Amino acid sequence: MTVGDRVVLGLALTLIVWLYARFWGGGAAGDHIQVLVAGRPYQQEDLRRNGRLTIAGVIGPSEIEIRDGRVRFVSSPCRGKQCIHSGWLARDGDFAACLPNGIAVQVVGANARFDAISF
Amino acid sequence: MTVQVTREDVRIAWLSAIAITINVLESALPSPLPGVKPGLANVITIVALCWFGWAPAAWISLLRVLAGSLLTGTFLSPAFILSLSGALASVVALGLGTLAPGKGLSAIGYSVCAATAHMAGQFWVAYALFIPHAALFRLLPVLMTAALIFGVVSGIIAQALIRRVERA
Repeated sequence: MTVGDRVVLGLALTLIVWLYARFWGGGAAGDHIQVLVAGRPYQQEDLRRNGRLTIAGVIGPSEIEIRDGRVRFVSSPCRGKQCIHSGWLARDGDFAACLPNGIAVQVVGANARFDAISF
Repeated sequence: MTVQVTREDVRIAWLSAIAITINVLESALPSPLPGVKPGLANVITIVALCWFGWAPAAWISLLRVLAGSLLTGTFLSPAFILSLSGALASVVALGLGTLAPGKGLSAIGYSVCAATAHMAGQFWVAYALFIPHAALFRLLPVLMTAALIFGVVSGIIAQALIRRVERA
């Protein structure tokens, strides 16, 4: 094990630690949500506004709830209910969708972390 | 006109054959994550680098990717493109590694260089060509950790091999 080896190992470890900090660090707190219907922006809501929201989708109405700066799906006419099982969304970038109904909810922070996300 | 086959050609051919065999055998192993492989064929590349220099090692690495893909039926597939980009990146990194001052690097140093460059090159091409989604970056730390671990393991194996086998 030469000096060069140790330098290489040290650099690799530093790089990896930095990668974890950069990409696994929690995002900023959510500021508002963007509701998308059929892939297109539909409505924006401030996360400070507590309340429920009903959105008409392809197969029926989905209901989302905003409370204490978080948002979640409450009810949806889909079969799998994965949207509801996604639970509370709070941080910038968090995302839940009811695919059968074509409704998606995205949490956006005050300073958008990503310029655009396409899916 | 006959082609003159040099001794180096024979060495490269032999070592490439071994590397290709290891590659094909390894492709039978299931991988926990897409893109994470032990990369044991790299041991041959590192051994060749330590014994014969950068050029033979580069040849072996690229020949292994090419022939391995032909044998496993993945030639020109996305897997091949990822493999090739990783191999090219690791070959460049090894070239830089040979420039290390002083005593330079041993098998372990070279292996870690090659492994991390391989993973970085592969990831970049995967992001640019196949999955241009920001969320892919959350996979990068895990991939790099795996690259480092397997790089060290390959390096240790290469070092053990070098110590036990007399230079051809």
